[in-house]
Amino acid sequence: MSTLKVSLEIFRYKKGQPAHYDPFTVEIPDNAHVIDVIDTVWAKHDPSLTFRRACHHSSCGSCALRINGVEKLPCITRLTDVWNGIKPIRIEPLRNFPVVSDLVVEVGDFFERMSAAGMTITCEAEGFLPLTVDTFAVADVLPRAVELPDNLALFNRFEQCIECGICMSACPTMATDSKFIGPAGLAAIYQARHKTDDPARVKHLLGLADGEHGVWRCHSAFECTEACPQAVDPASKIMALRRELTLRRLRKMFGLRI
Amino acid sequence: MSTLNYSRTKQAARWFDIRQRKVGMWAYALNRITGIGLVVYLYLHLGVLSMLMRGQSAWDAFVALARSPLYLVLDVILLAGILIHGLNGLRLAFTGLGFSVGAQKALFIILMVIGAIILLVAGLKIFAV
Repeated sequence: MSTLKVSLEIFRYKKGQPAHYDPFTVEIPDNAHVIDVIDTVWAKHDPSLTFRRACHHSSCGSCALRINGVEKLPCITRLTDVWNGIKPIRIEPLRNFPVVSDLVVEVGDFFERMSAAGMTITCEAEGFLPLTVDTFAVADVLPRAVELPDNLALFNRFEQCIECGICMSACPTMATDSKFIGPAGLAAIYQARHKTDDPARVKHLLGLADGEHGVWRCHSAFECTEACPQAVDPASKIMALRRELTLRRLRKMFGLRI
Repeated sequence: MSTLNYSRTKQAARWFDIRQRKVGMWAYALNRITGIGLVVYLYLHLGVLSMLMRGQSAWDAFVALARSPLYLVLDVILLAGILIHGLNGLRLAFTGLGFSVGAQKALFIILMVIGAIILLVAGLKIFAV
């Protein structure tokens, strides 16, 4: 293992000061991830640098930011994948979120949208859910029986969502409609809608999706799906919601049962 | 809490920023550019048609201008915009209702190739007249 001398340009913003980029040069092992480089800048060069990080293994979504203009999780992005030895690595906060300080953005509105769909990630039981039920018997793994949906793969797909906000940053519609529910929120609505048979709850969720800042604001850039580090594929969920809403309207128009 | 927010102009400029972006975003940006172009053309077209109210000589003068090489090039550019916007619009209508979302990139490329072939044939005919 050798060390690399890496150049960076990091976005800086503090209240009352203009936004700008600060250059840094750090020596770091060549097997480091980008989050390690940012950590080193903070520890050895500038402790006023503010950024978020927690799990270091793409489970929490806290560290999401832009590396060379592309939304990524720096905890799983290898330094050697973004450093070409010549041009400084550019580190910037996520787009479409108000910047609080340096690389930290305001995420309160974002989490409110996820809550509106009833899909904030909470752990209700200890243990883990395997991706395929033919690998483990559920009763062997969990201390008490848990009812799993028939379409387990579908739910596992969304449950990979770590609410990192990368899709919201990549979405061009979010740039000009701050109230747009956004890819993560709409994917959460899709998930919540397919987890319930309660007509009132379905009506509420579809009403959210059909609203002024719902699915119809999506203009099909598909960048959310491209950027998502967890393969949630929010674009497909948005289009599926559109299909359901359109079919419901057509049925209603022709007096058919919805 | 005090935060840094960008102007709406700067935010809207993101519609056209395709750096580091994939095929879906290129299609998105192209659709907006051609859409704006077609709206501008519509107003120009209405302006041109209003020349009919000024009598035959005014109209004939315009038709002579419209046959010049520069205008023929503009016609080809107009046709390109119509093809890109129309064919991509078909793709959006299809994927927007949840069909073949996973194939949206391939759909875009195939439709643009078809559009390019149509444009080539039409362009040759335009300049042959």
